[in-house]
Amino acid sequence: MLLSVEHIDVAYGHARAVSDVSLTVEEGEIVFVVGRNGAGKTTLLKTIAGFLKPVAGFIKFEDREINGLKAEQVSRLGIRYVFQDKRVFAKLTVRENIQVAAFPSRVKLADAIETVVGIYPKIVQFMDKKAGGLSGGQRQLLLLGRALIGQPKLLLIDEPTEGLAAGTIEDVLRVLEGMKGKISLVIVEQNLAVVSRLADRVYAMKEGMIPVHLVGPQQIQDQKVLETYL
Amino acid sequence: MNLDSLKKFDLVIVVAGFLALVPLVSLQRTTDFIIFCIFVLAYDLLYGHMGRLSFGHMLYLGVGAYAAALSSKHVSTDPLLAIGVATAAGVLVGAIMGPIIVRTTGACFALINLAFNQMGYFLVLFAFSNYTGGEDGMSAVFGKVAGLDLSNRTVIFVFSLLCLVGVVYLMRRLTTSTFGILLRAIKENDTRVQFLGYNTFGYKWTGFIISTGLSAFAGSLSILNYTYVTPSFIDPTRSVEVIFASLIGGAGNVYGALLGGVGYMIISNYLPKYIQRWEMFLGIALLLMVFRFRGGIWGFLTGIVAGRRAEVRS
Repeated sequence: MLLSVEHIDVAYGHARAVSDVSLTVEEGEIVFVVGRNGAGKTTLLKTIAGFLKPVAGFIKFEDREINGLKAEQVSRLGIRYVFQDKRVFAKLTVRENIQVAAFPSRVKLADAIETVVGIYPKIVQFMDKKAGGLSGGQRQLLLLGRALIGQPKLLLIDEPTEGLAAGTIEDVLRVLEGMKGKISLVIVEQNLAVVSRLADRVYAMKEGMIPVHLVGPQQIQDQKVLETYL
Repeated sequence: MNLDSLKKFDLVIVVAGFLALVPLVSLQRTTDFIIFCIFVLAYDLLYGHMGRLSFGHMLYLGVGAYAAALSSKHVSTDPLLAIGVATAAGVLVGAIMGPIIVRTTGACFALINLAFNQMGYFLVLFAFSNYTGGEDGMSAVFGKVAGLDLSNRTVIFVFSLLCLVGVVYLMRRLTTSTFGILLRAIKENDTRVQFLGYNTFGYKWTGFIISTGLSAFAGSLSILNYTYVTPSFIDPTRSVEVIFASLIGGAGNVYGALLGGVGYMIISNYLPKYIQRWEMFLGIALLLMVFRFRGGIWGFLTGIVAGRRAEVRS
């Protein structure tokens, strides 16, 4: 088992955002976490990534306990986070954005650029332009490519298709499908079509808890169950 | 005019520029300009590249100045040793205070530097006045370097100019390296840089130490130039000079720092001859920069070139 989240509670001050949540991810799996706004999905992802500390429970990655580690330590273990807001380093060029991601993984810049270009070939023409000038979809593809530098083991992706045009969504989904079996993904998503297409397993979150865990295509494609949590 | 092609000859242009200033403002004054530009370059690494505004950077210039003077008095009159001691002192102060200071941001960062500057000023003026001369300051005597007498105005000018060329080269390499790119990324979003796997505290601390060390280096050159140090070298109220210079020239750019350093020195040295309330003019200039010319002089120039290039293409 690659990732195991065991009975974690996460709180913002006195407000409990995540309560007694458990979740597992096997190698090469794509696991979705669905739920309404405010259900605790992003909080869960940020806790796994080390940005937040659980007040109870454990998080294990490759059998090593990682709750309590800082975000940069979690990243160096091979867990990468792709944020919902699609923010790149806007004042740096695309090349510099890639360079910043390559250095901690000890990856040569040329190899890192090759990784990103492999995801999104058209990025080549924007290499020396400020990344802030890219469209939302272009930024998302850059962020996904950047997250793959250094061959991570687990990607945590927060709403990858939110706010994107249909064509760009298809590009993003193709990228995610290409990762299937190679890298484990935990994806927060509200688009049920995306969930049905990619998911191996689905956790539905409601009010900080996970009342439903769906396994297998038959359960996952029963949209009536998922819709009650969205 | 292509600014990118000019950048290849930037060191030559810097030397030529300052040589051209000599007949206009005098040799000694040009040396002052050069040393101030080194201080602005040091400050701009922190402000322009790391995005941390310090209200107390005179502390580090003053540490260097007093360390150089004390070295000349108590250790040796070797000027190179004095420069080494001064720079080391600046690095040490940055290394010790950095872990406290770089954890802060925004107004807290600005004011904590001011607080430490005030403490340094007090120590120089009162607590350690037996060593520093207190309000009267202290003189410094330096020997020769490779047979060259640094009390000779021409020698100190050439020496300072060579130091500036070295600092410009160093800063150019540093700010375009992965380290420099990282500082700019941290300035934009510290948290996101952490998520990429960086211990951003280490990088911020290192940037801070480089800035304090270079500021102290500038302080030591000041003492070589004047052979005298007074509390004005560590006066916190003078910290605004380097802030103004950085803004006027264009923060976050080596060439902006140079233009700002020269620009500020010209304004502060020559405008008072014509306008009694010259500080008001400086304030108006600053307001113009903040509201209309955010990129400073360098930003304005690059904007003109970019505009002309777009016209040619269309």
